[in-house]
Amino acid sequence: MEGLTEGLFMYMVAAIAILVALGLAVFRALAGPTVFDRALAANAVGTGAIMLLAIVGFLTGRPEFLDIGILYALLNIIATLAVLKFFRYGDLGHAGEEPKD
Amino acid sequence: MVLLTLMAIVTIGVVRLRNLFAVVILGGIYSFLMASVMIMLDAVDVAMTEASVGAGISTVLMLGTLYLTKMEETRPAHTPLLPLFVAVVTAGGLIYGTIDLPPFGDAAGIIHQHVAPHYLQNSIVETSVPNVVTSVLASYRGFDTLGETVVIFTAGIAVLLLLKGRRPASEPDSNAAKARSRRRRPKA
Amino acid sequence: MSDQILTIVSWLFLGLGSFFYLVGAFGLFRMPDVFTRMHAVSVSDTLGVGFLITGMAIETGWSLNTARLIIILAIMLYSGPIATHALAQAALHAGVKPKLADNRLKKSRRISATREIAGSSNIQAKSSAPTKSRSRTARKSSSATRGKGRGQSSKR
Repeated sequence: MEGLTEGLFMYMVAAIAILVALGLAVFRALAGPTVFDRALAANAVGTGAIMLLAIVGFLTGRPEFLDIGILYALLNIIATLAVLKFFRYGDLGHAGEEPKD
Repeated sequence: MVLLTLMAIVTIGVVRLRNLFAVVILGGIYSFLMASVMIMLDAVDVAMTEASVGAGISTVLMLGTLYLTKMEETRPAHTPLLPLFVAVVTAGGLIYGTIDLPPFGDAAGIIHQHVAPHYLQNSIVETSVPNVVTSVLASYRGFDTLGETVVIFTAGIAVLLLLKGRRPASEPDSNAAKARSRRRRPKA
Repeated sequence: MSDQILTIVSWLFLGLGSFFYLVGAFGLFRMPDVFTRMHAVSVSDTLGVGFLITGMAIETGWSLNTARLIIILAIMLYSGPIATHALAQAALHAGVKPKLADNRLKKSRRISATREIAGSSNIQAKSSAPTKSRSRTARKSSSATRGKGRGQSSKR
């Protein structure tokens, strides 16, 4: 763990904050009453993964991982949009029943 | 550690939930957490694969599958005792196997003695690829990688055909085209 | 000297970013509704991520990593509103109504008149019932509110 800058403490704080945020988002994904809560939580978890990647990259002094952060950001938006587009245009009644309107 | 706990919680949620759409979303979350764990373990390439395959492609493919099936998981007809027993025995065997492994990152481990030094020292001279992992994957094991790519390509084509084939013929073309463009999104 | 100032500034940015990120996550945890949760997540998506990335970029100085950080920030600043917009649109399309202040009274009266299962969705976010039954009632109630939401919107 050599080659660390002085901002290490703050990086630790940020990493812990992001971990807590990940936990809360996972709770919301599990408990969310509707699917949209879950999709929102999935988006938040993706954001948290990107930020955790960046922070950990700086924490271990190897910020070259940020390329993968770019990839994650693109994947995150693609996954969210796919889910939502499916939910909007896909043929889903809840529980296989027909929509009532 | 925290990430692994979160992954376990997500897994329990996946098992308990009956709404398959929620399960698909939770699968995406699981993949992102798994990728974070991989980054913690310094395995960046595996993390990248996990995120792109697990959270990107397979989510979209699962959604395409959900389009063709129901949203709701049916109750299992059998008791889960026998699968549980098999899973526990397999997990016990795997954990027993990890006891003999050298410690993580040990440079004196057996797997680091065989061909790894050769790759590390000679790969740039022999292949002139700057990245050692890339040189191993694309040059030393080129045919292996080619075979893997063929397998994955075949699987992708098969999945696309399966997802496409079950439409009724009377469906209007615009709808099918829309669905097809939706499936093509992740590749773009 | 200027290094110290830069370090202090980046600490400040990182601390602010962590704070806003946590605020957004708590909002995601505590807010009662999909739309308010979306609102909370936007805090962490813009302010939290923005401050964190700015702090990291200040710490890095001018290098290739700064460019990567800026690209990440740009992608997230573009994709966040798109995702939120699509989410809100899909939620409205599926019949999830936002909880309004005057809507709540009417809703509770209507629910007590028609079906009591749907009423559990209001308390659901706070209660700690087992996951399975919760999701099932959520499904029922959302399909129930969908039909009712349509009638209500046509009334307006």
